[in-house]
Amino acid sequence: MNRFKLSLIILIFSLAALSGCGSSALDDYNDVSFNLVDQNGQDVTFPDDFKGQPLVLGFVYTNCPDICSFITANLYKTWVELEEPDDIHFVIATFDPERDTPKVLKNYAEAFNMDRPPFRFLTGPEDEIEAFMQRTGVRSQVSYTREIENGDDLYFLSHTDKILLIDQNSRLIMDYGGSMTPTHIITEDLQKL
Amino acid sequence: MRSILTLLTILSLTFPLVTTGCQSDDEATGDSELVTGEGITIEDAWARPGSEGRMSAGYFTIINYENESDTLTGVSSDVAQLTEIHESYELEGGMMGMREVSELIIPAHSTVNFEPGGLHIMFIQLTEPLVAGKALELTLVFSNSGEITISAEIRP
Repeated sequence: MNRFKLSLIILIFSLAALSGCGSSALDDYNDVSFNLVDQNGQDVTFPDDFKGQPLVLGFVYTNCPDICSFITANLYKTWVELEEPDDIHFVIATFDPERDTPKVLKNYAEAFNMDRPPFRFLTGPEDEIEAFMQRTGVRSQVSYTREIENGDDLYFLSHTDKILLIDQNSRLIMDYGGSMTPTHIITEDLQKL
Repeated sequence: MRSILTLLTILSLTFPLVTTGCQSDDEATGDSELVTGEGITIEDAWARPGSEGRMSAGYFTIINYENESDTLTGVSSDVAQLTEIHESYELEGGMMGMREVSELIIPAHSTVNFEPGGLHIMFIQLTEPLVAGKALELTLVFSNSGEITISAEIRP
């Protein structure tokens, strides 16, 4: 084999390797650390506490019964389709920490029969959640408020519709439309990890 | 070879037109389609679980077999402080929003689907937990057909 052919082969292998590195991760969360809390009041650090296992991460606020319930149900459905694995994290994080306290999240989890491992529901201090949402690309804003008969404020948020697939090394692998993505696609992607 | 290239060119030009045509039909007619039968019926009713004091959503299919359109003017239920008709909609940048629908016309010989991500019933400030496996009662009020009370299974 002459020197030209050898150089060409090395170049092709190098490009293939670099291409693989570039396309397999949309983001890498190893440079951040967010201090959050779950529905039981237990401290959770993202991403460190989830390293070593894949993580399916959805974003909701509990006052949203349609799209967010859809996202929550999609996580549950994915878990069922995978035959209820205990080596994959299934996590829901709220972008409404002011109202979604650990107690509110616990009630929400119980309603969906998801107040149990491997499911966790995360909230946290408002500034921490804001930074967490900014890094994960989740936006939300108040779109509607009104006072109802009993004097309480009714509010709705417009928000990003998202589920993320993060690998065991805290790298973002897939960014799905949370409510509209068929769960078999998430299942198939998980099986590739 | 040339004939294959020609065929591929034709397909590539016509496929977008075909798919656009399908989308236009959906948007133009909503969930409408021709049906035969009698009166207004509500099928496949279900609702999401929810905790007391919070929210839930209900879904079903309305079928209007009549020769005239009817209008869904209101909804009521004992499981929530307020029960309203809402719809989710997509905003720019992949954001989702939600708004109230004051009333909804059900065209003659048509079906209208209340489904996740679209039209739904909002149960606002639940007066009791909605637990998977149980059911709730929901009353729909139509301008022509009057009140129709249905049972909706609660499931995730």
